[in-house]
Amino acid sequence: MPSASTSEAEPRFGRLGVGFGLLGAASIALFGPIGVSTTYPRAVGAMLERLFPSFAASQPYLVQIGGLVRPETAIVLGLVIGGLLASRLSGERAPGVELVHAHERSRALRYLTAFIGGFLLLFGARLAGGCTSGHVISGIMQLSVSGLIFGAGVFATGIPTAKLLQKGR
Amino acid sequence: MDLAFGLLIGIGMGALIQRVRASSPGMIARNLRLENLSIIKFMALAIAVGAVASYVLAGFVPMHFSIKPTYVLGVLAGGLVFGLGFGLAGYCPGTCVVGAAEGRKDALFTLAGGLGGALAFTLAFPALERSLITPFNYGKITLADLIHLPPLGIAVGLALILAAFAFLAPTQLRRPS
Repeated sequence: MPSASTSEAEPRFGRLGVGFGLLGAASIALFGPIGVSTTYPRAVGAMLERLFPSFAASQPYLVQIGGLVRPETAIVLGLVIGGLLASRLSGERAPGVELVHAHERSRALRYLTAFIGGFLLLFGARLAGGCTSGHVISGIMQLSVSGLIFGAGVFATGIPTAKLLQKGR
Repeated sequence: MDLAFGLLIGIGMGALIQRVRASSPGMIARNLRLENLSIIKFMALAIAVGAVASYVLAGFVPMHFSIKPTYVLGVLAGGLVFGLGFGLAGYCPGTCVVGAAEGRKDALFTLAGGLGGALAFTLAFPALERSLITPFNYGKITLADLIHLPPLGIAVGLALILAAFAFLAPTQLRRPS
């Protein structure tokens, strides 16, 4: 394995973290806290509305969260543009796939793990009412108690999961 | 107008997530294994700066705070399930969007899994609402409701603790294997 790169040895979290905090506060000043995870069920709802309108209308959760035209959806579109711009302008191209855990001996196993992880992420985020951006970062910056509880839960399982899957490497 | 603001905020978030390498599932895994704390420190600083900035701004302009309700069972259970997914995928719902944008194929699988998880939650919602969301719901409470002090004071105290962690704790605890 190659040794640690310079960027790994000297991570640049300082100014970037300050910038992210200012964006979070600006968002609360302009329209509301940042949040990403509600856009997933709203997108599912928009698809179901086209395919099975009466089924979509019968789902209380979809009715409760409403349609896609709102600032949070624009945030998700912004993530695509910002991620693309930053990766192109910096010239640091991301690898097509990064193998992360010991059991990921093939791309297929990586894809499967990434899919199951995504399923659990959104199920958990919607049950809790937010994700890393809504609950942890913008939640705790608003001093919300739910954000602290959610954050404690995330690290309580996230850390042992990542450590166990590293075994044998 | 709010849509345009949302787009600009999102572009800024996407760029910062990419630059701090939070869109790399390998980097997230190293943080969760506590080998490298750069992303955890990035989050700590973001919360510190955001807390002070938003409660200072609140003294001058009307703010759109939106405190999420503390229904203890569902919030904790959701966090535990989310943590499993975070450890497995190495992505969260936002970073997989950034990862997909910069050309990571596994991020597309996390996105697809996320749509599946959102559908499953939608179908399970009536049962979950009865069992985990409605009981023990303490409403929209903040630390200021618990520790009877001015919110700005609590924000500054929290920010000092988080900033001390970010600047004093080591970032690289172990060389990546």
